[in-house]
Amino acid sequence: MSRRSEADAPHPRQEPRLPGALSLERLEEVFTDCADFAKREVYLHGDSARRAAVCYIDGQARSERLNDYVLRPLAQDPMLASVPEGELFGLMERGALYAHGAKRETELDPAVFALIDGSCALFLEGRDDCLIFPVATEEKRSVGEPENEPALKGARDSFVESLRTNTSLVRRRLRAPELKIKEHVVGRQSLTPVDVLWIDGIADPDTVALLEERLDAIDIDGVEAAGNLEEYLVDAARSPFPLMPFTQRPDRFCQGLLEGRVGLLADGLPLGWLLPGTIDQFFKTGQDRAYHWLAASALSVIRWLCALITLLVPGLYIALVTFHPEAIPPRLALSIVAAKQEVPFSTIFEVLIMLLAFEVIQEAGLRLPGPIGATVSILGGLVVGNAAVEAHIVSPAVLIAVAIAGVAGYTMPSQDFGNALRLWRFLLAILASLGGLTGMALGCAGLIVHLAGLESFGVPYLAPFTTGTRVPRGHPSLFRLPLPMMKWRDGPIQTQNRRNQK
Amino acid sequence: MRHAHVKGGVPCMPLLSSAVVLCLFLSGCSGFPAAREMGDMALLRTLGVDTAAAGVAVTGSTGPRARGLQAEGEPALTLSADRASLSAACLAMQDQSDSFVFFGYVDQLLIGEALAEEGVRPVLDYFSRDAELGLGAQLWLVRGGSARDALAAGGDEGVDSRLETIQNDSKMGIASLTRTAGEVYADLLELGSAYVPALSPAGKGEAVLTERGYGILKGDVLAGCLEGEAARGLELLAGGTLADILDVELPESRASVRVTSACTKSCLVFQGDGLSVLRLTCKAEARLTEYERRPAGGELERLQAELEERERARIEAALKQLQAWGADCTGLGAAAGMFHPAGWQRIQVDWPERFSRVPVEITVQINLNS
Repeated sequence: MSRRSEADAPHPRQEPRLPGALSLERLEEVFTDCADFAKREVYLHGDSARRAAVCYIDGQARSERLNDYVLRPLAQDPMLASVPEGELFGLMERGALYAHGAKRETELDPAVFALIDGSCALFLEGRDDCLIFPVATEEKRSVGEPENEPALKGARDSFVESLRTNTSLVRRRLRAPELKIKEHVVGRQSLTPVDVLWIDGIADPDTVALLEERLDAIDIDGVEAAGNLEEYLVDAARSPFPLMPFTQRPDRFCQGLLEGRVGLLADGLPLGWLLPGTIDQFFKTGQDRAYHWLAASALSVIRWLCALITLLVPGLYIALVTFHPEAIPPRLALSIVAAKQEVPFSTIFEVLIMLLAFEVIQEAGLRLPGPIGATVSILGGLVVGNAAVEAHIVSPAVLIAVAIAGVAGYTMPSQDFGNALRLWRFLLAILASLGGLTGMALGCAGLIVHLAGLESFGVPYLAPFTTGTRVPRGHPSLFRLPLPMMKWRDGPIQTQNRRNQK
Repeated sequence: MRHAHVKGGVPCMPLLSSAVVLCLFLSGCSGFPAAREMGDMALLRTLGVDTAAAGVAVTGSTGPRARGLQAEGEPALTLSADRASLSAACLAMQDQSDSFVFFGYVDQLLIGEALAEEGVRPVLDYFSRDAELGLGAQLWLVRGGSARDALAAGGDEGVDSRLETIQNDSKMGIASLTRTAGEVYADLLELGSAYVPALSPAGKGEAVLTERGYGILKGDVLAGCLEGEAARGLELLAGGTLADILDVELPESRASVRVTSACTKSCLVFQGDGLSVLRLTCKAEARLTEYERRPAGGELERLQAELEERERARIEAALKQLQAWGADCTGLGAAAGMFHPAGWQRIQVDWPERFSRVPVEITVQINLNS
């Protein structure tokens, strides 16, 4: 974004969007051809000389609240018919109506957006200003279990699509007033509220400022997908590796805030990002702190190992079988030779085709409804795989190598990171096809260089392993130490207060 | 360590240049390796080398093979060629097979006695230089015949499984010591002599290869062989696990003892500037395996003394032969010289001659676990 030239810069978002003074006529004009815009005219306590109009957006405002807290007092409260007209407006603003808030608006722009947010606007005959009462509906998906991050031993609530519900889930866990929540609006048409959360005194103010600066610089039509934020906040286009770790779990989100990271929540997206993102974040699960430290450490090491397996196994198989057979144990080599004799394709072709087939089956399984998806996976994985081996289309060793690589990839807690590994797996397999272990080594060197060149909000992506000598390090990333020993927050993310316990 | 901008890992010119340089280093500046499908390979497991009228006779065997998913058994493929050089013979073997003959899995190397008498160095040199072969192969001396005959003795099954069994038995202490081509080559270069386990085919037709002591290489030619008690003595000197049971007759009963481990330390004793004696101390662990009546007290001491005497006799038998050949193949002098570097430096040059003449004092201590 910083590289954009002045000429290419987007035209600024118009603020205010609807300039000018407020009036009922102008409001109706704004909502012309809006079927859900509603206007209800009422007599105050049946007095036809005193008329009021209540405007709202049907579906955004909750009918019960509108009826009980606004329309009923207007129709039934005798005081409203008796007070002088000059005091009527002030009386309603100060409690004659039962809504928990009332705000007087004289400008068109805020009144329009208040209606869109679910408030109703009350106009009195002969006046252009209005009173805004919040009567928004709270219809939304209830807080459920995180489907992508299941909890065996821990909280079972998950973020939902409602931003305010999500902030309340965080606030219930972090009751300290130092938890700051700052709202930004992103999207010309969607006007999506996006909240930046951090703990004052722990999080790095520079990171908060940088995030807010980048949020404000986003000028897009709408925030309908996570990529609408991710790809604008970090330079994601140059790397398949995710730079913004996210979670569905409020407990994990709060843990991230406690570690000094800056949180990001967007309305309509049931997840929260934690910034800056370093590579170790994509290997952590919400259960790491719930299990015994030895078990959690072992699982962590397994996940790192699986990342290497999913990345390297297909390429290594090609390199060893095609270029360096002497490195294979003799008995295994004899098995491979025996199985390979009747297969018409080259090893390189076999592996690449099987990798592709694996991706196709996985994609087909994902796109179909659950039970059918499972059936496709079974049919594709077992039946077709077995038939291909028996028909000598592929050798069993290739099937095993590709399956091991695929299954190992599923251990990645982050699907985004797993996807990046899948892409690099293809690249390394192709390099191994060209140059054996030399090509693999070259590819691995390239991968390390690539990862070392990545940054997320000014923090190196490989920070847990590559911080300089002057940068304080955190705790080991491969292992999870006993919690009483984890006294320090991560150094590279520049927390203001590194000590997290006595 | 904050950075001003978020950057992606975009390769740029310096990076590409580094990648090209790295590529050259990784490939040894020799380009990328060549691809070869394994399904089209005959994996040689055992190689035998003999002398021949043409120069050398090379015989290779794949061992039992399998074909297809069900691994239907196929007989071992045996290839042989007589040529002026090893490389020519190996190349000639390629022409005899409908598959690519791959030497990278040769882990058993048999050397005929006649070739060993002429010199094994060219063979070991070739193994050390060839890209596929390596010095990790187990080296065996075939006594009383040629390596080609020994390979033929395996028939359709080949001999590699038998040799692997001996190798594994050796690790478990129930067969004689085994040696890799690399170990023998290193000993020849450093000590000037080396010992090689010897085999010979036993039986007619598809014979079984049986252990027949050790061949002693001096320089790079076969000086002689140690068998029986002398071979056991060599094992004690080499400190390997022993595959031997000692039956001892006691005055009132008999007992069987297994020596489970042995360690021999050597020490050079100098008198003035001259070497006066080579002192050997062999410490062994033994375990009673069978007895008619459990020996105790004085009987146990007598048993221990008898064992020590037997082991001393074995060492003496081995040393007598080794001194006669001037072959310190277990490195007794070099090991002792580490504790007397100045003295060793003086005698190192003519150590083989001195080794033949030096008086040896042998002490055997056996720790008998009853």
